[in-house]
Amino acid sequence: MSSTSQKHKEFVAEPMGEKPVMALAGIGEVLGKRLEEKGFDKAYVVLGQFLVLKKDEELFRDWLKDTCGANVKQQGDCYGCLKEWCDAFL
Amino acid sequence: MPHFVEDPLYLSKSRLKSDLVAHDVALPPARSNKEVYVKLHKKHIDQKTDADFSSDEEDRVQDVAEEDPELPDPRNLTDDGLKAALLKHGVKAGPIVASTRALYERKLSQLLQSDGHDRPNGAEKAVLYSDSEGEEEDGQEDDADSDSEAKEETMEEQPQQASSQVDLNFQNGDLHYPQCFLPSSRLVVCASRNREPDGNSGNALKSSERSQPRCSQIPVGISKASSVGQCSRLASGVPSGSQSVKANDCSSFSSQTFSITQMVEEMESRRSPSITTNAERDLNGGNVKERCSWSDWPDIHVVDTYTLKNQSLYYTPKASPHKLRKKELVKDTLKDLFPDTQTTSTGIYATRRRPIKGAAGRPVQYVYPDSPASPSTLERREVERRLVPIHIQILVFIILTCLLYLIYVCVEDNSLSPFVALLQSLSQGSEDEHGLLLQDKTQDTPALSAQQ
Repeated sequence: MSSTSQKHKEFVAEPMGEKPVMALAGIGEVLGKRLEEKGFDKAYVVLGQFLVLKKDEELFRDWLKDTCGANVKQQGDCYGCLKEWCDAFL
Repeated sequence: MPHFVEDPLYLSKSRLKSDLVAHDVALPPARSNKEVYVKLHKKHIDQKTDADFSSDEEDRVQDVAEEDPELPDPRNLTDDGLKAALLKHGVKAGPIVASTRALYERKLSQLLQSDGHDRPNGAEKAVLYSDSEGEEEDGQEDDADSDSEAKEETMEEQPQQASSQVDLNFQNGDLHYPQCFLPSSRLVVCASRNREPDGNSGNALKSSERSQPRCSQIPVGISKASSVGQCSRLASGVPSGSQSVKANDCSSFSSQTFSITQMVEEMESRRSPSITTNAERDLNGGNVKERCSWSDWPDIHVVDTYTLKNQSLYYTPKASPHKLRKKELVKDTLKDLFPDTQTTSTGIYATRRRPIKGAAGRPVQYVYPDSPASPSTLERREVERRLVPIHIQILVFIILTCLLYLIYVCVEDNSLSPFVALLQSLSQGSEDEHGLLLQDKTQDTPALSAQQ
């Protein structure tokens, strides 16, 4: 599901660098705006949260839902994308 | 925190942040100062508490009522406390920082609620009844298990005890060999009596003669021993201290009457059930041993020579318990090895030796199946199948030689004249051709010479 999306592939293909938070799979314009409002303006900030939650899926999904109100699919996309990126580049 | 009012100025930045997150306040940008956090804190949280004090308080009260009174509100916990509480519920929390604290708090409260739902009767009751009961049952089961195990162990221990008895006997035998050199009266008597009718050799007679005078003395010792109060059978067998004293009094002769039957008898007596007497005997044995070691050592050597000479005389096939034990042990192993053999009264087993495969003309009981031939052997077989057998080869060779010989003989006899004639005519024909060619050459040469 998430692995098939173009956004996911593009994000996982290379180091995230200074990519904005909207480059994350599952994070569209609306969610990205909300995240930026909360201080998560870059993808690596979300990655930091992901890492500080010890890559725990449940906690990360909860956090994403709380912070930007992401639905289950968006949560899953974002989690899968970050997880795969970590597996590849961390 | 309705119970104690905190000035947000004294709170740490992370705490402010976590409070803001907990109250669903949008966090300022990451680089913002503490003042921004304090401002936000005052603006949102304090206002809330001031404005909606009653409702907030009610909410809090409800929350507290929902949760167990013993369990602390996760929001009042420190980071470490929160982590410990989570760990208590089996959740290995990561770093609890400003951005993660709210999540962990909620998780803890969820866990607490789920625990409460799991135990509708209340935690204490659950602890009192359900869980502990199970544990008690487990404990009882464990007890029962341990009981049964203990029984089994005792059951198992019985043979072990037997074996250990054997070991003890061994040990006793080892320990109290000196004791054996002291005569037990009955044995001596028996031995001497047994010996007398046989009366094989002079040595035997001598020994029996020597033992006889002692027979008169030793019963006194026995009577003393029995008066001391040992069990009759044991006492008879056991050289008690008094007896040994007596024996020592009897001077060096006391140990001369050592025989294997004495050892046997002593072992029997030692094997007798009462432990106290065993112990007593051990003590006595120790005493005797000492005495032997002190006084009788040279005599023991003498005895050894005597016994070596008279062994056959004194040896009676009365099975010693020691040996019996040994036999039993051996029996067990034999039974294990050959379960279908029948027990005999002698305890000796005659078992058919397992036939060695194909040896000594015995029928081969097991034939290995033909292993599949390797490709090389198959090839060889194929080649062999195509080859003509050797006797046919020889036959063909003989026939050929015969034919050749016949031809040779025929040629010698000129019996094949038509062939020869043909050959001759052929050779003549070739010669004619040669002649013609030569004539041509001779004709050419004059022409050439004429031209020149």
